[in-house]
Amino acid sequence: MTDNEGQFDAIVVGSGITGGFAAKELTEAGLKVLMIERGRKIEHQVDYETETKAPWEMEFRGEGDTALYERDYAVQMLNRHFTEFTQNHFVNDAEQPYQKAPGKDFDWFRSYQLGGRSLTWGRQCYRWSDYDFGANKRDGVGTDWPIRYAELAPWYDRVEEFVGVSGAREGLAQLPDGHFLPPMELNVVEQAVRERIRAKYPERVLTIGRTANLTEARPEQGRAHCQYRSICARGCSYGAYFSTQSASLPAAQKTGRLTVVTDAQVHRLSYDPATRRVTAVHWIDTRTGEHKRAHSRIVFLNAGSFNSVHVLLNSRSEAMPNGLANSSGVLGTHIMDHASTLAAKAIMPGFEDRTTFGNRPTGVVIPRFKNMETLDGDGFTRGYSYQGGAMQSTWTQGKRMGGIGAEYKDKLHQVGPWSMVLVAFADSMPRASNRLTLSKKLDPRGVPQLEIAFEHGAEEHAALADAKKEAAAMLTHAGGKVIMGFDRPNHGGTAIHEMGGARMGWDPQTSVLNRWNQAHDAANLFVTDGAQMSSSACQNPSLTYLALTARACDAAVSMLKEGRI
Amino acid sequence: MSAAGQGWNRREFVGAASLLALALGVPAAAIRLTDLDAQDAPTERQRSLMTRVADLVIPRTDTPGAADVGAGDFVILALAHGLSETRAPMAAANVTAALAPFRRHNGSLRYLAWLENALDRSASGDFLRHPRERQAEILAALDEAAFAKEAPFSPWNAIKGLILTGYYTSEAGGSKELNYELVPGKWEWNIPLTPEMRAFSSDWTAVDFG
Repeated sequence: MTDNEGQFDAIVVGSGITGGFAAKELTEAGLKVLMIERGRKIEHQVDYETETKAPWEMEFRGEGDTALYERDYAVQMLNRHFTEFTQNHFVNDAEQPYQKAPGKDFDWFRSYQLGGRSLTWGRQCYRWSDYDFGANKRDGVGTDWPIRYAELAPWYDRVEEFVGVSGAREGLAQLPDGHFLPPMELNVVEQAVRERIRAKYPERVLTIGRTANLTEARPEQGRAHCQYRSICARGCSYGAYFSTQSASLPAAQKTGRLTVVTDAQVHRLSYDPATRRVTAVHWIDTRTGEHKRAHSRIVFLNAGSFNSVHVLLNSRSEAMPNGLANSSGVLGTHIMDHASTLAAKAIMPGFEDRTTFGNRPTGVVIPRFKNMETLDGDGFTRGYSYQGGAMQSTWTQGKRMGGIGAEYKDKLHQVGPWSMVLVAFADSMPRASNRLTLSKKLDPRGVPQLEIAFEHGAEEHAALADAKKEAAAMLTHAGGKVIMGFDRPNHGGTAIHEMGGARMGWDPQTSVLNRWNQAHDAANLFVTDGAQMSSSACQNPSLTYLALTARACDAAVSMLKEGRI
Repeated sequence: MSAAGQGWNRREFVGAASLLALALGVPAAAIRLTDLDAQDAPTERQRSLMTRVADLVIPRTDTPGAADVGAGDFVILALAHGLSETRAPMAAANVTAALAPFRRHNGSLRYLAWLENALDRSASGDFLRHPRERQAEILAALDEAAFAKEAPFSPWNAIKGLILTGYYTSEAGGSKELNYELVPGKWEWNIPLTPEMRAFSSDWTAVDFG
């Protein structure tokens, strides 16, 4: 694919949540698209190898081989979604190394495969509000977003209609409603907690998680409704949750205008300073080691937040010695990841004669209630919200119980007591000191590794301290007995919401992308994954990446048609 | 990971537990101990001991017990591969005079050797030669001490946890003693819970966090 001049209108780098969607939008708009994925091919319904396996069909019963994990998956094994059932959907850390800046931690959870992390994501879909898009301007940290909610709202509509998001309308300014499929019900304990919290704190709303799992079948997309297994990350042959495989890829393929290359690690873009355009995308065939390249009129970079920044940093040239699209010098800076921790866990008495059936693939959410109309946070200026839920225990409770023999065994087959957890997610402040750089160390294919320097700051600690206090107060008020709670953030990266590094802004001197996700320095280059983010909000970011991707695709196609790029 | 040619790890065998399970018509999980490094390979006595100990924790009732499903062998496999952090170096504060002799060079504990020694010591001789009732008394005392409030670190907690894993993730433990439903197909948010209802081994949230 070295002399493909004229073959492709667009190249999309990456096939995850945003890459897959960009491929769909661009092909549906009539463009011929090449989508390049660094990982292996995974075919929907065919390659979900562990999907229907029972624990007794797995060598390590689903828990996995710790010795293997410590050797080859030393980072990925820290992810609670990483199990023997899902290990084939995460990277081998030994093959995909990265560097952490001295004295700093960052657990980088990655899925390099067709579909990327769309196969393993948490599926939570939340709109941002103007509290979020206005955050940087309000407290003066970071650069002002060049867009506001009203501009993005129609694109959220478009994305939700395609993705299929189930949820309940609540009329909240801080968490705008969307186009929802019917919500999954709160369970009996969560319903009671919702009412009890509302009675004391009228502005605090516990609602069902808004999740990209279908509560109604979509035959036109070949997708069945959720089967309530809650084993999504193994892959879902029902197509019940949104992934590249279940939704975007079939739509793009249906146009007949999509070409997909897998096992292809894009490491560099070449740039012509005379035309100020990206002229080629270069990759390494990871099976043969062969170097290849392709050309196109426009390039969408959707390699996955830090990896998109990595490609740009590694695309240094005489014209752009600090990296492509980095005349501002801010490329790689202001990276973020939500500060999160288990704010409270409580035993919930009073429901001993109630239970549930089925595994609901989402929890509950309590949206932000601090720093809204007034800045009432103690030591923090932004938001935090909770995700969690009420659950009953099963046999694993026996690991904490004394006893042996028939009586003990009989106790363990009973449905265990109810508990409820609230996990806090706090805004991550955009700081210049949290940044990505190129390491001098090379990966096994000879590409400089990415080095991550990240730490949470005083604001995040203050927000989580407040979150712990408020979570305990709410659950106690709701009749719970709080048995644990934490206020120190987990390592950076553990929210798996890493973002920023190629931020959007008004000013080419202080930002990488303009309001259309177009690089200030290269008119035919668009970055629409998490790298674009100028602030983090405290809600899960993927839906916002998707809305911005849809909007950027529309803008790029218009620019192309009008001959402007 | 195993060195070729080492006697034990090249010896194929079908465990007694597996034979018994077959006799009962309960498909046993395929637990392969044959790939273990020589230093991790259990003695036959350790296998018998672990099988018995697992069965004392989860005996056969109206459903199969831990010995029927090979839970003892699973524990041995799990300990060799470091599940439940059993191959991590011990925290300094946990290293007592009683445990120190069982540490490996890297500071991790040889759980199986410790258990064998602890039970034989409590039995004032060969634990396995006592009648089952006496074995249960000895193990119950060990368990009680380990799970008492403010109890110091005991290797027993991890071993017992792995016995439970071995049992409840076996086919009989997961789908006969408990319910197993891979495809529930629906979500019911509030139904009556009656004493005869059994928990679901396929309630993954409960397994992980409950």
